[in-house]
Amino acid sequence: MPHGFEPLLDYFIVSTILFAIGVYGLVTKRNALRMLFAIEIIINAANLNFVAFSRYLTNPNVTGQTFALFSIALAAAEAAVGLAIIILVFRVNREIDVLELRRLRG
Amino acid sequence: MDLLSNLIILLAGGALALPGIDFAFKRRVPGGRLPGYVAVAVLVASSLLVGFSATRTLEPAFASNLFRVDLLGVLFSLAVLLVSVFVAIASLDYVERDPNIGVYYSLLIFTALGMVILAFAVDLLVIFVAWELMSLPTYVLAGFSKRDPSSNEASIKYFLVGALGSGLILYAISLTYGLVGSTGLAETFSALTRIISEKELAPLAVLSLALFIGGFGFKMAIVPFHMWIPDAYQGAPTTVSTLLAAGTKKAGFVAAIRVLVIAMTALRADWTITLALLAVLTMTLGNIAALTQRSITRLLAYSSIAQAGFIVIGLAVAPTSSLGLVGALFHVLNHAIMKSAAFIAAAIVIFKTGREDLANFNGLGRRMPFTAFALTISMLALAGVPPLNGFWSKFVLFTAAIQGGLPWLAVAGILNSILSLGYYGWLIKRMYLDDFEGAVRIREPANLSAALGIGLVLIIVIGVYPTPVIELARNAVLST
Repeated sequence: MPHGFEPLLDYFIVSTILFAIGVYGLVTKRNALRMLFAIEIIINAANLNFVAFSRYLTNPNVTGQTFALFSIALAAAEAAVGLAIIILVFRVNREIDVLELRRLRG
Repeated sequence: MDLLSNLIILLAGGALALPGIDFAFKRRVPGGRLPGYVAVAVLVASSLLVGFSATRTLEPAFASNLFRVDLLGVLFSLAVLLVSVFVAIASLDYVERDPNIGVYYSLLIFTALGMVILAFAVDLLVIFVAWELMSLPTYVLAGFSKRDPSSNEASIKYFLVGALGSGLILYAISLTYGLVGSTGLAETFSALTRIISEKELAPLAVLSLALFIGGFGFKMAIVPFHMWIPDAYQGAPTTVSTLLAAGTKKAGFVAAIRVLVIAMTALRADWTITLALLAVLTMTLGNIAALTQRSITRLLAYSSIAQAGFIVIGLAVAPTSSLGLVGALFHVLNHAIMKSAAFIAAAIVIFKTGREDLANFNGLGRRMPFTAFALTISMLALAGVPPLNGFWSKFVLFTAAIQGGLPWLAVAGILNSILSLGYYGWLIKRMYLDDFEGAVRIREPANLSAALGIGLVLIIVIGVYPTPVIELARNAVLST
């Protein structure tokens, strides 16, 4: 076992729990805002992974931290687009429950 | 300057300049079509750039550890740029009176740029950034008809599913990075092979591959991840549906080929059966669901899901048959053309009559002869009727399945092609044999018809003389 492996395991457990919470939120919640939060939690679980791996790998390198920075920026862009769409949907439909939106049917 | 830098400068420059051009000339140019013409010019120039480079030796890209300029990328970017050109030309009529027209074309070009970068990327970081660059504009484009509740609904459903897909891909990349310590594809998979054989960390490697399949699967419209497709395609403006069905979906496949197939070859045949079953499921479910649809865009959406199944056949047999990837590539290119043509024909009908139900297609042969003819040809091509282009790529795919030792997969594919003739044939019968009450000749819009005409010519030319395209696909596979 490489030096300093134990803290990595702790971080990895936290990130796995975060990922599970995100997936749980997406599957059970029907409010578009809650679903957006769930997606953000999944992204942050991945970011935690990147930073932890970057520090505690057998040969540490900065690629992971770079990746985390990129993904934070992209997550912000994604949240901006998502919130804009949610606001638009609320203005037109007065509703952001995705199960209540069912105009499109086969 | 290498090909990729030129493309990035051209496309990013065009996309950034468009809103400004629109703002500056809004009042002076009648009809407000200037941004559209600029967008078409930029996209045509980029496709010509890519098209000519296919015949020459390719210079390596400026950052060779992040990008790899090879024929695979050239072929894919040619396909997605062609689709973007179709969409831009078709949009000239379709979104003519929208006040935000400059932004529309700008987002369209950003999507094209994302797809082009994705086609050349060989580092997981660049793949992820390009993936987002391609996806984010399409979420906005899907909801572009701001006051239309269906467009809103399509946009929010597409966004939630698409963001989940990106999240899964990001988590998969983080696991891969943790196992390997690098994000370059080449190092990643040589290291993954080692890890799989070590057993101790193997479950994590398998989990990350499964997350990759899930994440890419959402874009590729493989069956357990397909439920958003019909809603998004039906609600979005039809030109945007064209972009989604023929463009971004194909980009999903290029990412999958770069990431999964190379990885799968490293992991040997374990995933072949999984992907083969996914292919059969996708084809069958897509086709059966398409039979019961009453809206043209939903019908084409389900047919698009079925076609994704055909492409997955090629991915499934890739480790055992050299023809697998050739067929997949060829079908990706063909499907991009056929599906663009079919969606643009649908766009013409929706644009002119405001209705998308199939009853509206009764007697279309007399009301809109050119549109009806083009739709017939593209649907026959989608069904795989010789001598159209869809026939040849399906032929290569089925040959690959037999060569790869999965003859049942070829049989399933052939049966599905016949099944798909059920709904295509039904629609063709409606257009030519059924009567429409009070039928009058409707004038077909010029730009939309021009885009449709180019698609039609490509379908027939590749159908009659497929050899150069197959050769190009073969060389592209050899170049990876």
